[in-house]
Amino acid sequence: MNRFTLITLALIGVYFVWLALFGLRKHRHLVQGPWLFFFRAFFPNWKFYHAAGKAPRLYARAQATDGVWGAWQRVYARMPYRTHHVLHNPVVNLALNHQNLVDHLWSDVQDLPEGADIRERATYQLVTRLAHEAVRGGRWGQVPMLPAALPDARHFQFELRMDALLETEGLPASSELVLQSPVLPSWN
Amino acid sequence: MELSAIALHLDLHLAVRAFELLLGFSLALQCLEYLRIPALDRVNDWAILRLEIPARPAVVRALLDVLLTPRNHRVLIVLRLVLAIGLMSGGLGLAGAVLLFLIALVLLLRWRGAFNGGSDFMTLVGLTGLLIAHLVGAFAGMETGWRAGLWYIALQSLTSYFMSGWVKLLHPSWRSGRALPQFLDTGIYGPLAPCSVYRKPWLARAISWSFTVWEGLFPLALLDVRLAALFCAVASAFHFLVFRFFGLNRFFWAWMTTYPAILWCAGQSLT
Repeated sequence: MNRFTLITLALIGVYFVWLALFGLRKHRHLVQGPWLFFFRAFFPNWKFYHAAGKAPRLYARAQATDGVWGAWQRVYARMPYRTHHVLHNPVVNLALNHQNLVDHLWSDVQDLPEGADIRERATYQLVTRLAHEAVRGGRWGQVPMLPAALPDARHFQFELRMDALLETEGLPASSELVLQSPVLPSWN
Repeated sequence: MELSAIALHLDLHLAVRAFELLLGFSLALQCLEYLRIPALDRVNDWAILRLEIPARPAVVRALLDVLLTPRNHRVLIVLRLVLAIGLMSGGLGLAGAVLLFLIALVLLLRWRGAFNGGSDFMTLVGLTGLLIAHLVGAFAGMETGWRAGLWYIALQSLTSYFMSGWVKLLHPSWRSGRALPQFLDTGIYGPLAPCSVYRKPWLARAISWSFTVWEGLFPLALLDVRLAALFCAVASAFHFLVFRFFGLNRFFWAWMTTYPAILWCAGQSLT
């Protein structure tokens, strides 16, 4: 190993020590500003699945033509595993993208300035479309978004909840309401 | 230099070809998925998404409105697919690298910064490395360009493992092993079976410690090419398991793309 290699490795070592000392700290809003939000891929924090506990979940319910409301149901994708999906997996990636919208809506609710209206946010409008799609019988590929959809629903409503990841028989150990939409008319 | 180390030592040309093949393949898979998405998705409406694009400079939103009509978006993805195939064939120059990078920026704007989170970030690392290689190469020669590009990619990839590992180790739920079955239960191919071995607390703790420490120590791969090969082999299995539970096929290919750079950089300590 020559001197140049040693210096290079030492500098890389310093970089990782610096990361350990400063990069691992909690930095909420490290990347701010509208353009930086879109280009946050240039400043990734590489923190995946790091905080167990709770996660945002979308729930939706529909009102039938007779005026009776159905039960709240969770809009959360579960798919059958296929090994060939490693090469081509558009349906699952789309479902994950939809869950990302729910996560971002939760984030927008947390960051909402005083007096601002969440309904003006793109995340709220997109999640509204997701809830509508779900109650009207939308699918991720062959998998229904909801176990019991209501294709002819007149109205629908959605809730954003913070659910415990810990579940018993499919039910979260805790579920905290974050946001409830008004009753919304369905559309074609 | 020992024989086994020499056998693993990637020369620059081979590392570049492996990187181009893997990045091109990863991009091509993404493009084929992107081409299917519009027919499946009734949620991500550009008419809503565009409202988030800052009003100034006005030319950006106007340009995106043109580029992201359904037809033009499809043309853009097909162009990206053609460029990806060009990259795999080894015939992509500076213009192609610039185009791939610009298309990546448009896709970031189309998908609110990321379609699929971390895989988009790592794909961008690969594309940025490619761009660095060609830009530096245009002024200082391609060998210097590729050295810069591969080092950039390797450091970003090592950083991703380092951060991901140590951040988890700072959380009590990961250290106790509780986090593992909780996250696996949320997987798109989940939940875990009630009798799954991952629910055994001692096993969950052992697995959590094993892979978080392994991730945190990944930068040590630079010390020896044999160590790097071992880290990358384990990483391939790790990413496949992540795909197995969470459906993240793009992560698998995006991170695989960076292994030639890690192996080549690790090999530099031998010279």
